[in-house]
Amino acid sequence: MRGHVWLTIVGMAVATYLTRAPLFLALARRPLPPRVRLWLRLVPIAVLPALAIPMVLVRDGRLAVGLGQPALWGAVVVLLLAAWRVNLFVSVAAAVGVVALLRAVG
Amino acid sequence: MPRMPPSSSRDNLSTREGLVASLPLVPSVFVYGTVFGGLAVQSGLRHAEIWGMSLLVFAGASQFVAVPMIAAGAPVLSVVVTTYVVNMRHYLMAATLAPSFRSFRRAWLVLIAHVINDESFAVAAARSSPPHPGVYIGSALAISAAFVGGVVVGTLLGGLVRDPERYGLDFAFPAVFLSLAAVQLRRRSDWLVAIGAAVLALALALAVPGNWHIVIAGLVASAAGALLLPVDPA
Repeated sequence: MRGHVWLTIVGMAVATYLTRAPLFLALARRPLPPRVRLWLRLVPIAVLPALAIPMVLVRDGRLAVGLGQPALWGAVVVLLLAAWRVNLFVSVAAAVGVVALLRAVG
Repeated sequence: MPRMPPSSSRDNLSTREGLVASLPLVPSVFVYGTVFGGLAVQSGLRHAEIWGMSLLVFAGASQFVAVPMIAAGAPVLSVVVTTYVVNMRHYLMAATLAPSFRSFRRAWLVLIAHVINDESFAVAAARSSPPHPGVYIGSALAISAAFVGGVVVGTLLGGLVRDPERYGLDFAFPAVFLSLAAVQLRRRSDWLVAIGAAVLALALALAVPGNWHIVIAGLVASAAGALLLPVDPA
């Protein structure tokens, strides 16, 4: 048993249940205000790039942008495929393949 | 089937309808679970931890987000807060689903709330407005079985790859996040929010140690978008 990992998992479970249960159990009669609905829709649209782009472009605390960076090309591939509505598994697999290939030749 | 008011035979029928309507999504949800399970093993999580997380959290995107953070030894609080923000979209689904479940017993609601997920919401909301509770439950059964089943298979397969970086598998995490974000971009202004969040996160990541750039950039960019952009047509 790794205490901190389980503590993290239980914390995640509680945090996630708090996003599902309150409004569901309150059996909300009125829909959420339009601006709140818009905000909730935009949160994942903002969080996911906020998470991904630094993973792609930052290496050891420094900006690593260049045509020789495999991750940059992987990101381009996955964004293009996802924008064309290619399914998630195929777009991720293609991006991973491009990164592996560029690392192998680079 | 458990007894659920008002008419159990009609509800069984709609539960089956929700299940069948979700079958086309089952393969991709299963593979999504498999990829998660495999990458989580590669990141050093143990089988019990991965299965426990998938049952207790049961929210794929946030689990993908958490695994590399846990693997990098991020503080518990930063993982939990990031999970919360990634899953805030559930409020939207919960509020939309709630009125349909008014006749259900509270004990069932406590359980059903846990399986609120994007795919089942999409299935139920696409079939009727307001969404039918039976259809929703049937879909949630199919989707949760597919996801958890996929995770189990993924954890069992995930140990087979010896050198994940060589195969670019570390890149699967940002690739999943970018793919999940890209399919949600509906309006031109959505791109503005996504790019704004990315630039802000990049600046913060370079300036501030830790993982707080994700939550800060995510909340600031989405709130700015919600305040400044025209609201969605209902």
